[in-house]
Amino acid sequence: MHIPDGYLGPQTYAILDVAIIPIWGIAASKVKKSLKTRQVPLMALGAAFSFVIMMFNVPVIGGSTGHAVGATLIAVLLGPWAAVISVSIALVVQALLFGDGGITAIGANCFNMAVVMPFVGYYTYRLIAGDGARLARKVAASGVASYLAIVAASIVAGVELGIQPLIAHTASGQPLYAPYPLTVAVPAMALEHLFFFGWVEAIVTMGVVAALGRQDSALLAMKPAARPLRWLWAGLGGLVLLTPIGVLAPGTAWGEWSAGEMGSRVGFVPEGMSKVGGLWSAAIPDYAPAFIKNPLVGYLVAAVVGSALIIALAWGVAAFLTRGAADDPAELTAV
Amino acid sequence: MTGEHDIAPARQARIRRPSLAHRTAWGIGRNIAEVLANEELAARQGFLQRIEPRVRLLAVLLFAVTASLLHSPWSLAAMLALAATLAAASQVRVRSFMRKVWGSAGIFVILLAAPAATRLVTPGRVLVSLGALSLTVPGVLGAVTLVLRVVAAAGIALLIVWTMRWNDLLSALSQLRLPDVIVATLAMAQKQIVSLMRTVEQIHLARESRTLSAGTTAENRDWVIGRMAFVVHKSVRTADEVYDAMLARGFDGTMRLLPRDRGRARDWFYLLAALTFCAAMMALDRGALR
Amino acid sequence: MTQPNGGSVDLSRAHAHAADFVLSGVCQQYRPGVPSLVDIDLTIGCGEHLVIAGANGSGKSTLLKLLDGLVFPSAGTLTAFGAPLTEAALEDPVFRREFRSRVGFVFQEADVQLFCSNAFDELAFGPLQLGLPPDEVRERVAEVAHSLRIEKLLDRAPYTLSGGEKKRVAIGSVLTMRPHVLLMDEPTNALDPRSQVWFLEVLDEWKRNGDSVIISTHDLTVAEEIADRMIVLDEGHRVVAEGTPDEVLSQRELLLKVNLIHEHAHRHAGSGRTHTHPHAHM
Repeated sequence: MHIPDGYLGPQTYAILDVAIIPIWGIAASKVKKSLKTRQVPLMALGAAFSFVIMMFNVPVIGGSTGHAVGATLIAVLLGPWAAVISVSIALVVQALLFGDGGITAIGANCFNMAVVMPFVGYYTYRLIAGDGARLARKVAASGVASYLAIVAASIVAGVELGIQPLIAHTASGQPLYAPYPLTVAVPAMALEHLFFFGWVEAIVTMGVVAALGRQDSALLAMKPAARPLRWLWAGLGGLVLLTPIGVLAPGTAWGEWSAGEMGSRVGFVPEGMSKVGGLWSAAIPDYAPAFIKNPLVGYLVAAVVGSALIIALAWGVAAFLTRGAADDPAELTAV
Repeated sequence: MTGEHDIAPARQARIRRPSLAHRTAWGIGRNIAEVLANEELAARQGFLQRIEPRVRLLAVLLFAVTASLLHSPWSLAAMLALAATLAAASQVRVRSFMRKVWGSAGIFVILLAAPAATRLVTPGRVLVSLGALSLTVPGVLGAVTLVLRVVAAAGIALLIVWTMRWNDLLSALSQLRLPDVIVATLAMAQKQIVSLMRTVEQIHLARESRTLSAGTTAENRDWVIGRMAFVVHKSVRTADEVYDAMLARGFDGTMRLLPRDRGRARDWFYLLAALTFCAAMMALDRGALR
Repeated sequence: MTQPNGGSVDLSRAHAHAADFVLSGVCQQYRPGVPSLVDIDLTIGCGEHLVIAGANGSGKSTLLKLLDGLVFPSAGTLTAFGAPLTEAALEDPVFRREFRSRVGFVFQEADVQLFCSNAFDELAFGPLQLGLPPDEVRERVAEVAHSLRIEKLLDRAPYTLSGGEKKRVAIGSVLTMRPHVLLMDEPTNALDPRSQVWFLEVLDEWKRNGDSVIISTHDLTVAEEIADRMIVLDEGHRVVAEGTPDEVLSQRELLLKVNLIHEHAHRHAGSGRTHTHPHAHM
């Protein structure tokens, strides 16, 4: 999701360029304080790893590009602030030494991939892995966390691109920068990562975590949380409980119109929608399982089932990857 | 940006063209040869290479920002022309410059912008009537501007790429007072990147050779994962040793670099010239649109 | 390291009197239950050339790292130049600078040691970290590059160098700090025959300068050539022999037991007879 130069107007990139600088400063001081300088070679390694992973990118029409990043992996191993530095370095090197990704857009790219990703990934990981020692759980947690993190980052990138037509256009409506509105940019970026790059990111992350767990667990030993993360679980539970409120909001979310709604709103149905709209029959259409009549309960069930499915899937892959490894990583001794 | 340099005949012989095997759908963006070629180019005694890195960085930033502020296709084209001129002055052939810039960033943005020129995305006065895909005036203008801006920006970025070495970036950033931890990490990342890329290349090549034999997909996948695990493990071990080596030579957290390429007055004059040029472009741009 | 009266230890005075290193009852383990050194008593004098011999895994590298303050004993005491060498001691910037400039470490793998973007920076890194002014740094780099004949390599990135060139740059990167004690971990391992000869010549020259050299190796010819004194570590991580190279190398059973030499039936060219005698393959 590198955004090259020219796609973002100065109103957008300037804010992010300015905002990223204190973030770097804070990251540097946090790393120095809590991790000491031993992390420098490891951060360099993280930067290199992120750099190499990001080379494998594919253009995304309507957005920018799609690729895995590795930010969650680094955040899990070295902490989110160290990941800020590592991924930022990879991005800056790409932009200034290899011409990938924009120069004015460095702030935006770093914000998406070096700030949003590591933090979403890190805290999701802590939430799911907890303080438990079992490797399979850690691997699963890293998979879910990295998946969610990259999707979150892609959405933020999509928003940055999508607001360009809104905020920067001439009087005649000519868009000055990225021409696609939110309704196109956000789904384009999000879907590509939901369906493809998110999985790549998750698999890479889980693979490396499993590999490290099999051979050398020192890196995976996390410091216990300063505050218990139970509140995060409570938060997630609360969010799940609150999903039925959506039923109360009238109408349909902006951009999520079905073909029928599209027709009545705009007067015609874009050809693409009518062709593709019928292809996929969701298992739980409209978030309402057929046999549950009460829409509120239906929403709840859908939310729970959805979350459970994602976690279960990650667990399955994790179990597969760690088959044969010792359950308790502390038993692994590598001299 | 992928692809090989088409620079000068003498150089072509040395740069190994990435074989088809390398250009998999997901693309190995760069191979080692290109990295080394970058170093070679940056070592040439061209116009840009001789300017202090800090000034170069600031100037390029200035150009990039200016390009983002220009609205008229004409002024953007002028920026692109400037970039090409500077490239030529720095011993880079204009033809390869243009090919590189239009060939990757250019093609991609054209593909991206094309739908935006139509009525579907950008409504407005119709220019060319094609039914639902009619080209509208604001759509076409927007697309053309975007393409030119992106290509001009890519050209400017390329100027840095082909004249900046790792050390230059390092010294520029440390002189611009980036925190020590970041400079130290950047200093060390180059070595790690090269060694990782080499390993990825080897894994890729080895996997190709294995597909000739009758390995099952499960075996191949296990092998690749095993190789990756080994690489990760070894890299982490090496990182620990590298830290010991740094300690042994007195590293204590701060990164001290030799002040190199002390800026001459002439370099700052170039920066002033760049500033003037950009101001002129802005004025022209506003004028052209009026 | 501050003394009770508040002054810092002056290592230059200490150097003149005490031995370079004194280890007493030193044990070390990387992880609980996995010892790497057991009960080491050792005194290393000024200007001494010591070889630490042992099979792989006997703890040679760990001993060297101990001497360089990169790892610390889990039991026993270790002093360097008369002052205790502990983690706390090295946190004092004055002591750290003194210590690091006196003791240089050449790692087994040159790659580990070369982390800068070009050879010049490698050579300059140490002196710069010591806080020397830029002119002196440049002077030292030029001097060392000349004596190691690597002037042409200064502009090159380390990953473009051959194995032997990397080794020279690695050694150079330590020499620019002008250490009095050189620790070298298996220095001849990756060297081709010609480079090995060159290396032994370099060691000879250092001997003439009066610098201490402590080398870990399983290559017994190096021990023969350059050591004043030799110790042997066994696979139980203890010192099992100590003395001049002649004394130690004549103890055939011991060397066999610690896996430094082996016997197998072989034939010498031209003799037509098959026999066995202890030897090492170089």
